[in-house]
Amino acid sequence: MITVNLEPDGKVLELHDIRSVVGLLNKLGMRHTMAIIARGGELLTPDRKLSHGDVVLVRKVTSAG
Amino acid sequence: MKCSRCKATACVSLPSHHSGFCPDCFKLFFTRQVETAVRREKMFTRDERILVALSGGKDSLALMLELSSQGYDVTGLHIDLGIPDSSEKARAKVEAFCASRGLRLEVFEMAKWGLPIPDVKRFSTRPVCAVCGKLKRHHFNRIALAGGYDALATGHNLDDEVARLFANTLRWDVGYLSDQGPALPAREGFVRKVKPLFRLSEFETANYAFLQGIEIHSDPCPYASGASFTGHKELWGELEHRSPGQKFQFYQGFLQRGRRAFAALDKAEGDVLAPCTACGSPTNAGVCSICRIRESIREKKLEAGEA
Repeated sequence: MITVNLEPDGKVLELHDIRSVVGLLNKLGMRHTMAIIARGGELLTPDRKLSHGDVVLVRKVTSAG
Repeated sequence: MKCSRCKATACVSLPSHHSGFCPDCFKLFFTRQVETAVRREKMFTRDERILVALSGGKDSLALMLELSSQGYDVTGLHIDLGIPDSSEKARAKVEAFCASRGLRLEVFEMAKWGLPIPDVKRFSTRPVCAVCGKLKRHHFNRIALAGGYDALATGHNLDDEVARLFANTLRWDVGYLSDQGPALPAREGFVRKVKPLFRLSEFETANYAFLQGIEIHSDPCPYASGASFTGHKELWGELEHRSPGQKFQFYQGFLQRGRRAFAALDKAEGDVLAPCTACGSPTNAGVCSICRIRESIREKKLEAGEA
């Protein structure tokens, strides 16, 4: 399981069976340039692996006004 | 993925550039894109004073930091819109950002001017986003001229410019298509306006802001739900995914081959501007739209017994 902090929504999701950043983006229905993904203060490219227990920031980049 | 430049682990993947970058090389990429924009569009020099419009979002704060880092003479300008539970947060982010980095900041308060945006929402019949945008542009220009600044810089990025161009094209709006671009020269009553981030996408400015540790105001405006530009950005995001680089091609193609035609048409058929009889700002009517909006809302507040 990984924990996802979604910004700017302020939601926290717990997702299972996610093994990579691209898998996470697909799960969230996002193209890879729609959000920045970070773990422990490090930005991640879509090919990076995710592990059980990871806490990941997903910050959408489109300003909403 | 490895950094295209130094082969360290990449932190940002950029399909439109067929590249990936590590943190240091991405910052260098970002800096070079801004340098190229400023140089090619002859936006300003290091001898000039630049007023940077700061909303508190990632783009404007990233722009301020980058221009300052490149040695430009920058001053921030934040407009406090007076929207409850929103404007104070945005203002706090901007003030903290400037204070922590030793950057000059001016703050203009719409409430002190007599027209906080909640009054616009309550009393104007026009869409609040359109009026708010018009008011902000008016004050940015007015304050830049009054302060003797050489240029007004805004944080509009490639996605903003493409979404706006797309919207203008859908309406074939000759007036807006005639002067859309990253640098608009000064003319009577208008300061020079520049957009140094126009070569960079929203994704790229978001990565830069993160890597620079910029605390941004990311809450959406409570009045902005359903803004059409957001939908246009989503459409273009899908196009860009299928064909990386298309956004930049669309925008550059317009600048190189399309804009001149609209400028010529607008020159032949467009409005002639003269100073507003009330405030002196350029307008194609006797009294400018800003003064008319202000007067209309003042009358409606009087009728409602709230003046």
